[in-house]
Amino acid sequence: MYEFDWSSIPGALPFLWEGMKVSLEITLTAVVFGIVWGTALAMMRLSSVKPLAFFAASYVNLFRAIPLVMVLLWFFLIVPQLLKSFLSLDPNTDVRLTSAMVGFALFESAYYSEIIRAGIQSVPKGQVAAASALGMSYAQAMRLVVLPQAFRNMVPLLLTQAIVLFQDTSLVYVSALADFFGAAYKVGDRDGRLVELLLFAGAVYFAICFAASQLVRRYQKKLNAHVAH
Amino acid sequence: MISIENVSKHYGSFQVLTDCTAQVKKGEVIVVCGPSGSGKSTLIKCVNGLEPFQAGSITVNGVSVGDPKTNLSKLRSHVGMVFQHFELFPHMSITDNLAIAQVKVLGRSREQAMDKGLKLLDRVGLKAHAGKFPGQLSGGQQQRVAIARALAMDPICMLFDEPTSALDPEMINEVLDVMVELAREGMTMMCVTHEMGFARKVANRVIFMDQGRIVEDDSKDAFFGSPRSERARQFLARILSH
Repeated sequence: MYEFDWSSIPGALPFLWEGMKVSLEITLTAVVFGIVWGTALAMMRLSSVKPLAFFAASYVNLFRAIPLVMVLLWFFLIVPQLLKSFLSLDPNTDVRLTSAMVGFALFESAYYSEIIRAGIQSVPKGQVAAASALGMSYAQAMRLVVLPQAFRNMVPLLLTQAIVLFQDTSLVYVSALADFFGAAYKVGDRDGRLVELLLFAGAVYFAICFAASQLVRRYQKKLNAHVAH
Repeated sequence: MISIENVSKHYGSFQVLTDCTAQVKKGEVIVVCGPSGSGKSTLIKCVNGLEPFQAGSITVNGVSVGDPKTNLSKLRSHVGMVFQHFELFPHMSITDNLAIAQVKVLGRSREQAMDKGLKLLDRVGLKAHAGKFPGQLSGGQQQRVAIARALAMDPICMLFDEPTSALDPEMINEVLDVMVELAREGMTMMCVTHEMGFARKVANRVIFMDQGRIVEDDSKDAFFGSPRSERARQFLARILSH
């Protein structure tokens, strides 16, 4: 029978917290950038300007057709080299965090843009007509009338995607970056307590994601109650 | 005020409007009626450029709607439009619905816009609902807010696209009353509606459309008294027997 020994965890907590900060940092950057760039992509895709629509569609289809882990590896292998040569950085500068953030952000934008596109399309066409009839430009109609309604409908989906994203940040272990999962792995490896550390990490991921999805569900209920008026 | 000259429109090979010509003078109230699918809503949406058209020309107050050089947003900002499904902005309070375009399009101050909005809200009898959201009002109330929203822009004319067809019967009159009052004040109006009572009360002329063509354009007395075309006679017989 395997003897569990949890004693290496308390001492490793500060190190694990550093890892958690990396995970959260990547998640936050990717969510913010993903929503901004995703909105731009969604609007391009819905635009009547053909080249823009084509670009956005290609971008989304490309990123949705390749595994995240591969994107991360590319960014880990290629982007640091490019950054270093372009910005003439010291070859020893650690750009793994930046490249992980960029990789995640670009990848997640493709998913966010699909959520946002559906959100924009869920706003009745008459709303744009009404805004236009009041003399608003297309940009004003989008900004003041369509997007606020679209985002309000989308918040649960956007947050759910953020939860998935948070779990996916564990994939940065491929670049040996010490995110929360990477940190747990390192500690477990060092102390020969891999099973305990991975169980612990799993429990932490579960606790955070479960709590977050409960919050999303509660928000969604509130939203539905509001719409039902 | 509004001049529609030989306007035609098609979606692909489907002809929606054929050679439509009509004039609306300042202060006139024109009712556009006809069976569904006759192109009346499309025609009225061409007037403020919400629907493009392929042939002919429309000028509003001397400005050509079809001309690509025309600043359509500017033109629309002083042509009021009321829609069948109200199209209030559901994420804004009633006061914000009334104020937003005044502030963002006409550049009025927020106080000015609020002030004007509240006055108009009072006029359509809904002052007590100022702080509510559109979803909390009945259809008739929403449509009255929509009329107030259009009036807040100080329009030179008003377009109504079936303003009562999405309403329950008991709410139709509260909206028509507002429209009648507006007509009596001398607002230039073009109304797509099946409300023949409204037409009898305030219309100067009635335009009857069928299959994308303007079949009759006559004074209301002539239209209701002795419609010239067989199609209009049938339409009137059916709608009045309701």
